[in-house]
Amino acid sequence: MPNVEVSLKDIGELVGKKLSLREFKEAVLYAKGEVDAVAGDIVTVDMKDTNRPDLLSAEGIAREIRSRLTRDRGIPVYRVRKSNVKLIVDKNVSGIRPCIAAAIVKNVKVSGNFLVQMIQLQEKVCLTFGRKRKEAAIGLYDWSKLRAPMHYRAYKPREKKFIPLEYKVEMDLDEILQEHPKGKEYAHLLEGYNRYPILEDAKGTVASMPPIINSQLTGKVSGKTKEVLVEVTGHNQETVNTALNVMVSALAERGFGIYSVEVKYPNRKIVTPDFSPKKVVVKIGDIREFSGLDMSNEQILDLLGKARYDVKISGKKVSCQYPAYRQDILHGVDVIEDVLISYGYDRIEPEPIKIAVVGEERPETKEADLVREMCIGMGLQEVLSFTMTSKEKQVEKIGLDGKKEKFVEIANPVSENYAVFRKRLFPELLDFLAKNKHCLYPQKIFEIGKVLELDSRSETGVSEKNVLCIALSGKGFNFTAAKSALQAIAENTGRKYSLKESNLPFLAKGRQAEIGIGNKKGVVGEVSAAVLRNFGLEQDTVLLEVEI
Amino acid sequence: MVSLDSSKVAASLSEIEKKTLRALEAGKGKPEEIAKRAAMPIDSVRRALQWLKEKQLIELREHSERGMKLTAAGKSSLGKGLPEKMFIEALAELGGKGLMEAVRQKSQLNTPEFNVAMGLAKKNAWVSIHKTEKGVQIELTGLEKPLLEGKYELEKALKAVEEGKEIGEKERKELLRRGLAEEITAVKRTAKLNQNGEEAVRQIAGIKKRSYNVYGEVPRIFIGKRQPYVQFLNQVREKLVSLGFKEMKERLIVQEFYNFDVLFQPQNHPARDWSDTYQLKRPRFGKLPDKRIVAKIKAAHENGAGTGSRGWGYKWSEKIASRLMPNAHGTTADARQLVEGVSVPGKYFVINRCYRPDVPDASHLVEFNQLDGFVVGKEINFRHLLGILREIAVEIGGAEEVKFYPDYYPFTEPSVQLSAKHPKLGWIELAGAGIFRPEMTEPLGIKERAIAWGLGIDRLAAFKLGISDIRYLFAQDLNWLRKSKMVRVG
Repeated sequence: MPNVEVSLKDIGELVGKKLSLREFKEAVLYAKGEVDAVAGDIVTVDMKDTNRPDLLSAEGIAREIRSRLTRDRGIPVYRVRKSNVKLIVDKNVSGIRPCIAAAIVKNVKVSGNFLVQMIQLQEKVCLTFGRKRKEAAIGLYDWSKLRAPMHYRAYKPREKKFIPLEYKVEMDLDEILQEHPKGKEYAHLLEGYNRYPILEDAKGTVASMPPIINSQLTGKVSGKTKEVLVEVTGHNQETVNTALNVMVSALAERGFGIYSVEVKYPNRKIVTPDFSPKKVVVKIGDIREFSGLDMSNEQILDLLGKARYDVKISGKKVSCQYPAYRQDILHGVDVIEDVLISYGYDRIEPEPIKIAVVGEERPETKEADLVREMCIGMGLQEVLSFTMTSKEKQVEKIGLDGKKEKFVEIANPVSENYAVFRKRLFPELLDFLAKNKHCLYPQKIFEIGKVLELDSRSETGVSEKNVLCIALSGKGFNFTAAKSALQAIAENTGRKYSLKESNLPFLAKGRQAEIGIGNKKGVVGEVSAAVLRNFGLEQDTVLLEVEI
Repeated sequence: MVSLDSSKVAASLSEIEKKTLRALEAGKGKPEEIAKRAAMPIDSVRRALQWLKEKQLIELREHSERGMKLTAAGKSSLGKGLPEKMFIEALAELGGKGLMEAVRQKSQLNTPEFNVAMGLAKKNAWVSIHKTEKGVQIELTGLEKPLLEGKYELEKALKAVEEGKEIGEKERKELLRRGLAEEITAVKRTAKLNQNGEEAVRQIAGIKKRSYNVYGEVPRIFIGKRQPYVQFLNQVREKLVSLGFKEMKERLIVQEFYNFDVLFQPQNHPARDWSDTYQLKRPRFGKLPDKRIVAKIKAAHENGAGTGSRGWGYKWSEKIASRLMPNAHGTTADARQLVEGVSVPGKYFVINRCYRPDVPDASHLVEFNQLDGFVVGKEINFRHLLGILREIAVEIGGAEEVKFYPDYYPFTEPSVQLSAKHPKLGWIELAGAGIFRPEMTEPLGIKERAIAWGLGIDRLAAFKLGISDIRYLFAQDLNWLRKSKMVRVG
């Protein structure tokens, strides 16, 4: 969930009402925001709704709060003037990154807050709503350095050169993808294409290479910038438009002038930004029934107005128009939630639910608990370890052949310690013992948990089994002790077990056996000297591992 | 020597044992001596000594001793009297003199005995013998008096042998010669109080014993017990069952289909990205359920599947949905249960291991548990959602006050965050919840609304266990586990 940094003073100015930290904390809940950290005037807010990119800036948060704290209601009105600037889209981008939208912002009064907020909003929108630039990549440019009309077209990798942001030398497009940090990070978005999209001006001056990087010369907004070109590229026109609307409506909140751009596709033309409201119809009865609240029509209309809807009742339905910077309303329930948020969750009385059904634990839970009780009866301490572990513990340390042993394996491990799922429980218990050599002996421990094995017959290709593992460590523990434990558990759970002499590498020769309890398998025996050495254990150690 | 609880042992002693112990206080002794000191029958003493030995209050030392034992003839003589005494007694009864034949009859001795008896009487000059016309006349001399008064040494010796006492050398030889006694090797026992016995004697006597320092350190016992976090989870489970919730199956490896797609999370959503969830290198793909269900989920994502929703408007991929991953949240089990079918009304829950590629620290684990559940029923509304949450907060979280905040989850609308005030722990964020989106439930044929809730049970457990480092839930520290206390739900 994205964190957004805002200045409390800035928020106050945008809302038109000074807010204390406490007031802000309460108010930002309406925007599904939670204050995470405070450093002087700067507040970090965790914005939970990843489908509300419009809330990822001080401007957007302030807009949402304003309608709750003041008389401001409904869709905010932003005036859009025509700029007569055209953006011409070449047909050769259609198979690569086909959609674009743009706007020009004038009379920009650059302040510290504004620049920080614009860069933050651009980043966060690209990350969340833009799906890491795949669906929406945003560029901001110093419009004074570019000449209309703009062109969006694709070039071969060596055909075009420009100086990417934060660089001093010109690079061709392949060089950027291979060498520039942003190029490397986002190269996968252009993988498999023999041409790359370029945004350039009338004179062929490169503005950017979407969705990778802007030009150092034109694609940079600074304190001196008076006019800004905002542009968004992607694969879906609605998504691209929404992202542009989010950016531009935030700028409009600061009172800057918004000018439209005509985007000319080969076979059609559109004008962006398009602030025409979107529409959804909801049954009033549904709102009452879903919320469990007996609200009047007037109340519902006011609550929707607070949530920035423009509403009209027709018969039993309410027709809701909502701002063009939102794309999260998929269903009537989304509108109902906005009604409830406006109403205030803290004002709604919980109602107990009357459903008379009988609860039950899973059979495997009951079984595990039964076996757990036996182990405790034997004076063993239960331990709990992770199911993810290392091959080193599961293979090398217990003397198995790494080439033969296949595991359920993580593709993107953060650490080698959590790279595979355990196939056996006992190496984890031996590791536990190894970490506790300073504790008093005897050490008698057990764990009941899952082990995972590859199994092509399973729907997931994995079989997950519950096993019991007991490890006894201390002077004089031998095969008999381990077998006695097995016998105690088998007898007390009313099961018959059979043993078969075995020759497993991790157990001592002549002091080990394979267990069969019905169709369930296991092993019992004394840990071999070599394995004890591998784990650094000095005491006699025996183990028992069996499926339950 | 084993140290016994002497007060308990003393309390368990019988009368004869007590008497015997007291008799031994004066010093070691043989059973006979003890019997004398305690004025008790020898058999009782022997029995008591055996018991006291078993109770480890005395030492019983055995040693061999040469002794004598009466023969059958000897025993008979001890009963009836020696032949010579019977001879003299018969004569005395006859008035001090009589014919040999009359004395024989009176004495009831057989011929050999009579002959021996008469020989001895003559030798000891107890009688004088004369031949007369009527026969042999025997007459007492007066020297027989000590014999009649019980002062006959041999008779005393006979009695002494029976009683195990020492006798003179002359008598010993005589008894052996006459076949009245035989020589034997006897096992003799000597009893002696040991330390426990001395203590027991003091106990019996009511003498005050050494007191314990009741405040002193005692050895620690490491009992067999549950891992405290497992114990906490078990209690949570029991609590939920008591509230009518049915446990769902826990799965560690799941298809993205259940982890994301059924939960209406679009396939291009950043949360499905490489950096936010683990993915598997092996195995990579799993099977999807019934084709009709897959088609419905696809439609829900692409166009809302006729639920009145717009859907996400992108091309849904079956291949992405069939990718396998370690389960990333507890709600996966809800999705699976909804696909497999639910009873309406119904209450379900799961405690499921979850995995996220974080770097573990005091507040993050790569592997943790989530408690998730849902309630499905007719005419469920938002106030019921809050009602369920309040119940969970009180029953599981031990809350005395609750607060609800707006929240966001891709699969619920509306979504709520539950904060609870615990009398000891203060305000904590306890749960996230909401009503499942219609795009999720309706394509699965569930017309009723379902309330879904999830609890960061690890955080709650950490609070309850009083640990600040969440890694201790999986503590690899035996001392900590041995010392850890069990906590209670609520």
